[in-house]
Amino acid sequence: MNQSLPARSPLIRKLERFASLSEADRAVLEGIGTHIENVPAHWDLVNEGDRPRGIFLVLEGMAYRYKMRANGARQIPAYLVPGDMGDLDVALLDRMDHSVCTFSPCRVAWIKPEGLADIQLNHPAIARAMRISTLVDEATLREWLLNVGRRSSKERLAHLFSELLLRLQVVGLATENSYALPMGQAELADTTGMSSVHVNRSMMELRREGLIALTGRTLTILDVPALKALAEFEANYLHLGERGAA
Amino acid sequence: MNLRLQPVQVATGSDDAESRLVYDNGFLVAVLVRLSGYHGTDAGKWYLEAGFGRVDDPSPPTFADLPEAQAWISRQLEPQP
Repeated sequence: MNQSLPARSPLIRKLERFASLSEADRAVLEGIGTHIENVPAHWDLVNEGDRPRGIFLVLEGMAYRYKMRANGARQIPAYLVPGDMGDLDVALLDRMDHSVCTFSPCRVAWIKPEGLADIQLNHPAIARAMRISTLVDEATLREWLLNVGRRSSKERLAHLFSELLLRLQVVGLATENSYALPMGQAELADTTGMSSVHVNRSMMELRREGLIALTGRTLTILDVPALKALAEFEANYLHLGERGAA
Repeated sequence: MNLRLQPVQVATGSDDAESRLVYDNGFLVAVLVRLSGYHGTDAGKWYLEAGFGRVDDPSPPTFADLPEAQAWISRQLEPQP
């Protein structure tokens, strides 16, 4: 059942930014998860109202959390890139309060809560890194609230693209200025709380200003400092330099 | 329901300019903008750029043509049961 993961697990790459991991820590993280599944794009990994089935870890592909209104309107409050996990303490809940869906085909590992508890007990550095990772998830949600509530259409997209560049670079999935953007215009609209029309207009503006280029599904940020400046993007909330802290 | 449409140009910061101000008995209730060729399959459709009062919508719809837009706006303005 237990299949081997890619040599450089995105989870290890990510957690190494938060704590110094030993060889033993890394070995445990390489084999984490009792069940690995490959799911297609636009596939619900978790449905609101479900009983939690464990903690998922995205190994490949991109997914997102969402909430839906009765009329079908949807808000996406988080993206999950390789190395990102579902809520560590999800087993404390009876029912899921949101859904999780894939943007692209994903490879996902499912971790049993008792297995994770065991790892955290025996590997304090992993436990510490995962706790920081949870704090970062919460900080990112706050940043996204600021984005949706207090930034202009163009600034919202600029902020999202700046953040994704950094998050994907951490796990080796972005060059210095480009990465695959698997989501479409409607999904960007649901992420930024705008209509597809406004997403389309803002994308056009960003292109006209020479800040981004979109070729197929590859986003290239032509002027990284200018895009970050437009969004007032400060990476502090991602806490990528916490490793040295005692 | 007596809607009156007034052609205007709206500075949307994009190629979408051709627009209509929509009045209900003299009150401005909506601004409709015709989507330009940049919007792919939605080109030529009318977008609820702004709606006021009961015509406001957090998920602004697009309409195939102006009669469809007017019918939707009229429904929004109908007295609530």
